[in-house]
Amino acid sequence: MKTLDEIRARIKELEVMPAIPAIVQPLTAMLRLPAEQVDLDRVVKMVSYDSTIAAQCLRMANSPLFGRRNTETVRSAIMALGLKRVQAILLGCCLNRIVPPDKWALDAVVFWRHSLGCALVSRRMAKLIGYPDPEKAYLAGLLHDLGILVNTLTSTEDYRRCVQAARDAHVALERSEEEHLGFTHCQSGRILAEHWHFSADVIEVIEFHHHTAAPETHPLVSLIHLSDLLCRLRDLGYGYYEAMGVDLAGEEAWAALVSHYPALANLDLTRLTMDIEASMDEIVAVVDEVFRT
Amino acid sequence: MQIELATPATVTGAPDLGDPAYLKIRDVIYRISGIYQPEEKLYLLASRCARRMSVVNAKTPAEYLEQLTIGGNRDAELRLLLNEITIGETYMFRSPLQLEALQTVILPQMLEAKNKSGLKRLRLWSAGCSTGEEPYTLAMFLLEQNQKLLAGWTFDILATDINDRSLEAAKDGIYGEYALRSTSELLRKKYFNSYDAKRLQVTDQLKSLIRFDRVNLNDDSRMTFLKGMDLIFCCNVLIYFDLASKRKVVQHFYSNLLHGGYLFLGHAESLYQVDDRFRLVHFPGTMGYWKPPIGYTGESKL
Repeated sequence: MKTLDEIRARIKELEVMPAIPAIVQPLTAMLRLPAEQVDLDRVVKMVSYDSTIAAQCLRMANSPLFGRRNTETVRSAIMALGLKRVQAILLGCCLNRIVPPDKWALDAVVFWRHSLGCALVSRRMAKLIGYPDPEKAYLAGLLHDLGILVNTLTSTEDYRRCVQAARDAHVALERSEEEHLGFTHCQSGRILAEHWHFSADVIEVIEFHHHTAAPETHPLVSLIHLSDLLCRLRDLGYGYYEAMGVDLAGEEAWAALVSHYPALANLDLTRLTMDIEASMDEIVAVVDEVFRT
Repeated sequence: MQIELATPATVTGAPDLGDPAYLKIRDVIYRISGIYQPEEKLYLLASRCARRMSVVNAKTPAEYLEQLTIGGNRDAELRLLLNEITIGETYMFRSPLQLEALQTVILPQMLEAKNKSGLKRLRLWSAGCSTGEEPYTLAMFLLEQNQKLLAGWTFDILATDINDRSLEAAKDGIYGEYALRSTSELLRKKYFNSYDAKRLQVTDQLKSLIRFDRVNLNDDSRMTFLKGMDLIFCCNVLIYFDLASKRKVVQHFYSNLLHGGYLFLGHAESLYQVDDRFRLVHFPGTMGYWKPPIGYTGESKL
């Protein structure tokens, strides 16, 4: 296994460490303001400036996944989605652009289906168990695999081989990464997330979402760990068959999360799973429309 | 029996899916039968209700909900509605992801555990086998693994149903195009003989792996003696049981299974709040209920 410093050195050497997309900063700053100080006109302007982002805001606001509102203008879409969701959309669209279409090891569409699926499932689970910030859960779900983008950019050919090996052996991607790259997307994702000054809890999710939970783990990490597994078990994974059976309620992350949110112990997991299956078509449709490059 | 997509009902005008009564009907069905219909699929539920509504002369979903919950005939009506939801006809290789999980995860794990005990034998039970599609599918699946995964192993399949006519049809093993729609040409050649112009009959080899028997799952004295199972398949049968008898049957299944064995239900069925001894295990695209080994404490990536 390589150390974080070794990976960091390698990534810096390659000089492809992407800059955080310019549009994200002002929006993030605005999110820290009290609601009454937010200049909605400025947000509308920022979003409208970029046709892809505007289209995605509209598509999301009108999707049954978010309550289907028949929104026609960017302004009403932003009002319907809320600033936090708009920020997540911005990040998603910008991140998609940092990877040139010919570099992807996983198909871009597969990656975004998994990320969006995980965002939605995390938000749904957050609501069901009483986690206080479902939008944070959404954002963390969307960004948890940031490291896959880093690996795609920094180790393009090696990463293709790594993904192919995982696909052939039907094993988890991170296992193949350890074997072929000597580090995982969890580690490389952490480095970029730090570089971009993501919040500490999201950085923790990115680094530890595949680890079994330590007692001091942030509940968000456990939440994303579980929804990541659920997505991968419901055809919202990495686009290949992962031969695994998972007793979700037997996972350490489950126990860790139950200790913070006891409502999880009574969660109807079969029902949640069937709801995810039923959302599949719409997730596929949204991603196909917005992220197909 | 398996869940089948409903054909559109013959009603005038589209049902109003925004009617909150449909969600309530959905919840009644889920609470009583364990069959869950996600909101995205409410239109299917609405079309199934529409057929029953026209028969019982309910003008609105709310009126029908009333008949299902407080009407004098509610138990019978719920049964009739469930019949609409789960159409009896099924076909072979209906759940490929279940077989995939068996092949790639469950059997390798099970065989390894059993190898230690030296007894190279698997017992499967299709409980509520209807006209035989499920047990024959399992028999073909196991025979196909015979050269590789299951080399040196023996297996037998018990197939039971309460319905004598279904059992007779199952024993005859004669199937038309509908039942064979997902059966490959290769498997048809290997495990079927032609019966008449339109139908095929399963070979004696396939039949010899299966023992058909009439069993009422509510019959405690029979259930107590069906021991030593590795895998039990019980699709869309428990939905017709009330909570108390469902609990009893599931408890029997638990003791019928060996440690490390699995119970599989129909795709939309849930044991939520029916049983807390089985562990719900997720596989890609399918789920199973696991009777863990003695001493199991969780954290299981199988």
